[in-house]
Amino acid sequence: MSYSNKVIDHYNNPRNVGSMDKTSAEVGTGLVGAPECGDVMKLQIKVNPATNVIEDAKFKTFGCGSAIASSSLATEWVKGKTIDEALAIKNTEIVKELSLPPVKIHCSVLAEDAIRAAIGDWKKKQSASTPVPVEAKA
Amino acid sequence: MSGLDEVYINGTMEHRLPQNLNISFAYVEGESLLMGINDIAVSSGSACTSATLEPSYVLKALGTGDDLAHSSIRFGLGRFNTDAEVDYVADRVIETVSRLRELSPLYEMAKEGIDLKSVKWAAE
Repeated sequence: MSYSNKVIDHYNNPRNVGSMDKTSAEVGTGLVGAPECGDVMKLQIKVNPATNVIEDAKFKTFGCGSAIASSSLATEWVKGKTIDEALAIKNTEIVKELSLPPVKIHCSVLAEDAIRAAIGDWKKKQSASTPVPVEAKA
Repeated sequence: MSGLDEVYINGTMEHRLPQNLNISFAYVEGESLLMGINDIAVSSGSACTSATLEPSYVLKALGTGDDLAHSSIRFGLGRFNTDAEVDYVADRVIETVSRLRELSPLYEMAKEGIDLKSVKWAAE
């Protein structure tokens, strides 16, 4: 199997590798895939609650070169986007950008899932931490 | 391979062909490891399944779990290989496995003390 130059570049120089504090209210974490399937992606986003803009993104991936490249690219793409703009990213755009062959399309699907899972986690935290008006106690 | 932890030899060391070695490097996916040592002719999985992305059914029959089967590399030596080449391969493998583990969420979780078998994975 031959890899595209873009996949090789992301594999050799993955962007935004790392981890953020998953307990932080500003951080959303998506963990998708399974070790038994040979792919696990962890994608984290740090969102500005006032603007809903994703200010930072990090990833770690267990998987083939295409899986690493798909998640590395996903972090690049979500950075600077609003939550809604990031949700609009389609796996087919990742396939096109990285010239993924048909046997590697599942890697792009997993990257899209990871973005959605991270955003879902962040939203859950937001609704949980929304200040509920409490009657002042004397 | 003493430079790495969590390395598992697949199969027995007693009853095997002397020129064959199949090793699982936990938390690193085999194909990504191959990509990092692409100047070395080794294979992930087995010759039987080289055309697919499935893990080796031979390893599975030997009792290797699906997770470690995805992390296996098959090394084969020929009569013309030298000691220096073996040392070179060992160095390159250690370097690449170390790099990929820094990239692996599974390695991170294992180091945090999380039992990966107890995690409910959100598979596709």
